[in-house]
Amino acid sequence: MPRNRTIVNAQLMNTQSTPASAGNLHPLAAKSMSGAEVIVQVLADEGVDVMFGYSGGAILPVYDAVFRYNATHPNDDGSEPLPLIVPANEQGAGFMAAGYARASGKVGVAVVTSGPGATNMVTPVRDSMADSIPLVVICGQVGVAAIGSDAFQEAPVSTIMGACAKHVFLVTDASVLEATLRTAFEIARSGRPGPVVVDVPKDVQNTALTFAGQGQLPIPGYRARLRNVQSAQLDDAGCASFFEALAKAERPLIYAGGGVIASGAAEALRGFVADFGLPVTTTLMGLGAFDTTDPLALHFLGMHGTAYANYAVEDCDFVLTLGARFDDRVAGVPDKFAPRAKFIAQVDIDPAEIGKVKTVDWHHIGDLRRTLERLREYGAAHGIQPRQDGRYAAWHAHIAELKRVHALNYDHDSELIQPYAVIEAINRITDGRAIISTGVGQHQMWAAQYFDYRAPRHWLSSGSMGTMGFGLPAAIGAQFARRDATVIDIDGDGSIRMNLGELETVTTYGLPVKIVLLNNRGDGMVRQWQKLFFKGRFASSDKSLHTKDFIKAVQADGFTWARRLERKEELADTIAEFLAFEGPAFLEVMIDPDAGVYPMVGPGMSYAQMITGDFIASRQRAAGDETLRNDMF
Amino acid sequence: MNAVTQHTLTIMLQNETGALVRVAGLFASRSYNIDSLNVAATADPAISKLVLSIRGDDQAVVQIVRQTRKLIDVLEVSHQATAD
Repeated sequence: MPRNRTIVNAQLMNTQSTPASAGNLHPLAAKSMSGAEVIVQVLADEGVDVMFGYSGGAILPVYDAVFRYNATHPNDDGSEPLPLIVPANEQGAGFMAAGYARASGKVGVAVVTSGPGATNMVTPVRDSMADSIPLVVICGQVGVAAIGSDAFQEAPVSTIMGACAKHVFLVTDASVLEATLRTAFEIARSGRPGPVVVDVPKDVQNTALTFAGQGQLPIPGYRARLRNVQSAQLDDAGCASFFEALAKAERPLIYAGGGVIASGAAEALRGFVADFGLPVTTTLMGLGAFDTTDPLALHFLGMHGTAYANYAVEDCDFVLTLGARFDDRVAGVPDKFAPRAKFIAQVDIDPAEIGKVKTVDWHHIGDLRRTLERLREYGAAHGIQPRQDGRYAAWHAHIAELKRVHALNYDHDSELIQPYAVIEAINRITDGRAIISTGVGQHQMWAAQYFDYRAPRHWLSSGSMGTMGFGLPAAIGAQFARRDATVIDIDGDGSIRMNLGELETVTTYGLPVKIVLLNNRGDGMVRQWQKLFFKGRFASSDKSLHTKDFIKAVQADGFTWARRLERKEELADTIAEFLAFEGPAFLEVMIDPDAGVYPMVGPGMSYAQMITGDFIASRQRAAGDETLRNDMF
Repeated sequence: MNAVTQHTLTIMLQNETGALVRVAGLFASRSYNIDSLNVAATADPAISKLVLSIRGDDQAVVQIVRQTRKLIDVLEVSHQATAD
C-alpha cells in the first residue's frame, strides 16, 4: 500500500489567510514566537481554560511554553489562565478532557508526549469519536528527520489515530503549524463533533516562527459539505409531508439521541413536545436531552432501557428519530424495532446515519435545533396543535399506564444492600441536578436507570465504546468544567481499578469529586451474561479473592472522607453525610453481588422478548430464553 | 433486489499527509475489500485522484460513499456501477 506520509507540498499547505482589516488584527500578529509558543497562543485564543496532559521528551517545548505563558499572564486572582492538569496516565488525561467536553459542550484539550504518551491516548480518542465528543489532542513527535527510523518513543501516531479520530494532522512543515491548530478546533467542534489529533515533531515546536494571528488550512471538501448541512433548511414541502404523516398517527413517539445534546437542541425539543405532545424516549447518550421527570418522558430505551420505554416503542405507530442512530444496543434486530410504526422519520447532521441501519420514510439532514424550530413554526402557522386538540389523549393515558405498571423495581425486602436503593437515595438529595459519570457495566446501567436527568450534560458515560475506567477521570474533567456543581462518579470495583491512579489526581487538585463505588466483588455485567449464556461458568469475572482494601487505598491518596457501607439501615444517613462533605469523598458500598440489571433485551432479541426480571411487571412471560445465542454479543 | 455488483468509485483527494492511508483504512475498517486501486496526480499538485473498485450491493456502496465523504481531505466522491 503506497503511503504519502512524507509529502508536504508547499502549495497545498498554503494557509487561507484573508487580509484582515486593522480592526480585527491579532494584537500579537507579526510577533516572533517558537512553534511551542504558537501552539499555546492558539489554545488561549480558542478559549481553552484548562488542559490535561503528561509531559515527556518530545512535548517539553510546549510544556515549557505553557509554564511561561501562565507565569506571565496570571488571572486577576493570581490563578493560571491555562492550568495543565497532570494525570497518573495519559488515558486519564484523555478522559478528563472528554469529561470536560461532555459537561461543558466546549472542546476538551489534552497534550501528551510521543510514543507511549500518544498510544495511551488512543482509547479516549476512539471513545470520543464513537460518542461524538469534541477534543483536540496535541501529541509530541520525534523530530521530522527521525520519523520512520524507530527512534526512541516513536509511534506512527498519524496512522494509528487516523483510524480512530475525526481527523489527524502530522505537522512536518512548521509554517503551517498555527493554521493547523486553528483548523483542528474548527473540525473538532463543527458538524458532528469529534476528536482531532495534531502530531507535532519536536523540531517543529522549536522552530522560530512569526505569529500570524489568523488563518486556517484549506479544507474545501469538508467546508463545502459542512456549509450544505448547516444551511439546509427544511422546506415547506418537507414540513407538509412530515405533518401529513403525523396527522395519520395515533401513537407517535420521539426517539432522541446524543445529537440533541451535541447540537444544543434540548430547549427546542422541549418546545416541540409542548406544541405537539409526542412522548419522548432517549438513548443512553441522550439522557438529559429531555427532562426525565416530565410526564411524557419515558427515560431511556434499549437493551437495559426501561420496560415502559421499550413497550412504547413496540406500541407506537410513528417514530421521530432525532440525532440517534439505531445502534445495536437500541435496535438489536432492526427489522423488529418499532414493528407497528407505519412511518419513521429521522433528522441528523450526519448524512451517513440516514438509513444506515433502518430504512426511514422521511428524513432531513441538518441542524437539529433549527429543524425542530422550523417544524414548530410551520405547525403554528398551519394551526397544527394535536396536543391541544386532545388527539393523543388515549396514547398519553396508555403511556402513563405503561409507566405505572412497568416501572423500574427491585427487591426491597432483601437484607443485602441493593444498588438501586443507593442511587435512589442519592437522587433524593441531588434531585436530577448532579453531574453523574460512570464506568462501564452494571453500575453504569443502574445509574442510567435510577437517576433523574433534568438537563443536558449531566450524564457522562462511555456509551458506544463502553470503556471501563471512564468514570473517575471524566468526573475530574467535569469538575474543572463545572467548578460549583456536584460531580459524582458512580463506579464499579472492576471499572475503578482501570484508572485507579487518578484517585490521587482528585486530591492533588483539591477537587470536591464524590466517588461511589458499588462493590459486588467482580465484573457484575460479565457475571450476568455468564449466568445467562455460559451456564454460570464465571470465567475470570469473580474478584472475591482480590484483597484490595479500597478505603485504605483512597486514604493513602489523601481522601479524608472515606467510608465503607455494609449495613442497609445506615444507607440514608451515610449518603447524606457523604454528599454534604465539602471536599473529595469516597463511599464504598458492599452491594448484593447477585443484583442484576433489568430489564434486559438480550442480544439478537426483539423488545417483545424483553426479560424484566422478578420485580418489574412483564407484559408476557419471557419467551426468549431458548433463542438467546452467545455469539451475538 | 440488492444484487452484489462491481462499483467504481472516483475520489478526489487533498494531497495531505496520510490521506491515502485514511481512505484505505476506512474501507478496511468497515469490511470493504478493495479489488483495485489506482492513485494518480492531477494537474493540480494539491489534488490526487483515486480510482478504486469494490463489490457490494447498492445499499452497502451508498453507505461507504457517505462514510468516505466524512473524511476531511476528501474533495469529491463519484461512483458508477457495472454489472458483474
